[in-house]
Amino acid sequence: MTGDRYPEADALAQRGHWDDATRRVILDRVYNVPDFRHFDDHARATLEALCARVIPQDHRPPARRVPIAPWIDERCDSTDIGGTRFDDMPDERMAWGLGLRGLDETALILRSASFVELDATGQDAVLLAVRAGQPAGRIWREMPAGRWWIHIALQAICGIYYSHPTAWDEIGFGGPAYPRGYTALNFGAPEPWEAEEVSG
Amino acid sequence: MKLHVHLSPNWVLDTDMREYRPADEVDFCIVGTGAGGGVLAQRLASFGFSVVALEAGPWHDSETDMVSDEAGSGPLFWDELRITGGTDPLDFGANNSGRGVGGSTVHYAAFCPRLHPSDFRVRSLDGVAVDWPISYDDLEPYYERMEREYPVSGPAHFPWGRPHGYPYAPIQAGTAGQMLLKGCDALGIQAVAGGPVAIPAGRVGQRPHCIMRGFCLLGCKVGAKSSTLVSHIPDAIADGAEIRTGALAHEIPVDAAGRVTGVRYYRTRSDGRRIEEVQRARAVIVAGYAVETPRLLLESASARFPDGLANSSGTVGRFLMAQAGPVVWGRFPGPIRQYKAPPACATTEEFYETDPANDFVRGYALQTVSPLPIAMAHLISGEDGGFGEDLVRAMREYNHYAAIGVLGEILPAETNTVTLHPTEKDRFGLPAPYARFSLGDNDRRMMAAGVDRATAVLQAAGATEVHAVDRYAHLVGTARMGITPDDSVVDRWCRSWDVPNLLVCDGSVLPTQGSANPALTISALAARTADWLRRAVPAGALAHRPAGPAAVEV
Ligand SMILES: Cc1cc2nc3c(=O)[nH]c(=O)nc-3n(C[C@H](O)[C@H](O)[C@H](O)COP(=O)(O)OP(=O)(O)OC[C@H]3O[C@@H](n4cnc5c(N)ncnc54)[C@H](O)[C@@H]3O)c2cc1C
Ligand code: SF4
Repeated sequence: MTGDRYPEADALAQRGHWDDATRRVILDRVYNVPDFRHFDDHARATLEALCARVIPQDHRPPARRVPIAPWIDERCDSTDIGGTRFDDMPDERMAWGLGLRGLDETALILRSASFVELDATGQDAVLLAVRAGQPAGRIWREMPAGRWWIHIALQAICGIYYSHPTAWDEIGFGGPAYPRGYTALNFGAPEPWEAEEVSG
Repeated sequence: MKLHVHLSPNWVLDTDMREYRPADEVDFCIVGTGAGGGVLAQRLASFGFSVVALEAGPWHDSETDMVSDEAGSGPLFWDELRITGGTDPLDFGANNSGRGVGGSTVHYAAFCPRLHPSDFRVRSLDGVAVDWPISYDDLEPYYERMEREYPVSGPAHFPWGRPHGYPYAPIQAGTAGQMLLKGCDALGIQAVAGGPVAIPAGRVGQRPHCIMRGFCLLGCKVGAKSSTLVSHIPDAIADGAEIRTGALAHEIPVDAAGRVTGVRYYRTRSDGRRIEEVQRARAVIVAGYAVETPRLLLESASARFPDGLANSSGTVGRFLMAQAGPVVWGRFPGPIRQYKAPPACATTEEFYETDPANDFVRGYALQTVSPLPIAMAHLISGEDGGFGEDLVRAMREYNHYAAIGVLGEILPAETNTVTLHPTEKDRFGLPAPYARFSLGDNDRRMMAAGVDRATAVLQAAGATEVHAVDRYAHLVGTARMGITPDDSVVDRWCRSWDVPNLLVCDGSVLPTQGSANPALTISALAARTADWLRRAVPAGALAHRPAGPAAVEV
């Protein structure tokens, strides 16, 4: 990983400039991470390993890593059956359960170990097979792997990670701009309160 | 009933709203308060009719319910179960429709172009799809009115379709919009900036001007962006309409004479309890969006109308269209920061019309789209399923991307449908709507050409790397208007051919969709239908079924 693009960025430090409703939602996300309730220990470990391969965060001290898996666990714990469902897919909760078991099946066939037991290279080999759409394993004959990968796994993991101020700092997004708005509109310039980019 | 809803920081809808009892027979019960329903409620109430508009969702208070945060904006979207299939299944969610007073206009991008005159005659001109039962001339005065009422900002001279100018000055474009202009200019393609978009550059009534914060797709906390929530609903209430929120319509009952008698709905009360009521009405107008509208008509099947209400032609739920919306993004050496300024800020309609040099008919527009971080991550990960360092590295370039949306005309196909799912039920126990969507050859060729063109524009502007993902937006067409009762659901006034006192007036009635974002057209049709009802009701026209193509005026 190359150096930090926005070393000065600290979106959260701007919280005093946000409106109440927005501040409540974002601080809740940052400071009230839910406990695991839904998945058992093994599924939880598999889910955490998956999240860590999709968004590697080893370069951050553990306390600075953006929690992703707990929010997926929370989502799967809810009984709400709303939203869009592809007609060849089970509902989201079931899709997560199946998909995590599917990763193990594929890992066992490809590398003779469960997904969490593999090193990063091994895990990536499994994920590449899932992404390619035809991974080994019985579960993936019932649930289309490509659909699961993009519309369940990446959809959720990216959605959660890039909702966090730490991720905003990484990409140079300054966070909420209400009520003060933007005034620097030309040449991609930052506002005075946004971080400058350094090359790297 | 006392209302206290912020429409902007300093504008509170603080008023007594008239309330009817379900047993009161009102002149009109409208289902939905979006682009179609919101305008209808305002117009019909101002003409002195008694109006109840049922809205499944809530009021979205701009101070407490709207947030300046992508992930926190979920409550604005329609989140009931929808099943999707076909060879090119539509992904609903945030990208497709809204729930709450104002409907999808609360979180639309507010691009508000008109259709072109040719859009009303594609069968005659291009030998595809169908002609509309009305012409551009019929709609033009309503376009002009809606452009003042939303209102719409844009260039003084808009050169495409039937050239016209906009009542409000263009808004300022951000750097992403300037890249579209730069690329088009380098290629000799005419393009415009600052509209047509329903975001006034100055103050309008109690609505402050835009603060350029780029959150239009997640609701405008400022109240600058037009939505029927701020443009028409307040007047509707002042004129005595009732907007009944938390009221999900699920059946339109009919009497022995084959007339509708009102609307049956579930209402979730403030204590969380769900009750079922029937609002009695002399006439019913369905305006629930192109998925829920056919769903409601199909759910209303009865002994008299076994295939669904207003469905003697079998076209309810057929001819579902989405606009093609591939997103093409380029990486620029310098910063762009595309999240600044409204995403809708520059466009070209140079490729809108049929060009004999193409291997397809009809065309597309190019428009700025400017995804926020989560939307951008979904585009990048959706392109080829990339993950890990590749994904994170691509996202670290976020501030260097400018994105262009191709907005293309997909032709109506009878096999693209919304039906009731045979087994899946939503949380009310109602059959879930099932949308099946597959592209045709013309659609694929048009989309490929649009992506190529957008790529060329971005490269000409200086992009060093370009990517594209197919997307779809703006569902319409599932209760189309037509010239005869055999192949359409409603007539040229949006009235059901089968049921004299039932109308459909939302995006569902569009027979074709052109390459213009649909909201302005939907609202213009609603205003036109309201004008007709003002004449038709006293003349007794709703007592009889439309007599067919010959009988056009009242
Ligand atoms: C992200 C996004 C961006 C868009 N950008 C643009 C744009 O830039 N320009 C443009 O022109 N268009 C845009 N659109 C599309 C535009 O918003 C819609 O086409 C338009 O609002 C549709 O109008 P409508 O009246 O058919 O339905 P809607 O505006 O969706 O209103 C339907 C209403 O009916 C309610 N409802 C549905 N079923 C029921 C029921 N059974 N009982 C009670 N109430 C019910 C819903 O809650 C909703 O409030 C965008 C849409 C989205 C989602
Ligand atoms: S960019 Fe302007 S119109 Fe859009 S949400 Fe922000 S203030 Fe409202």
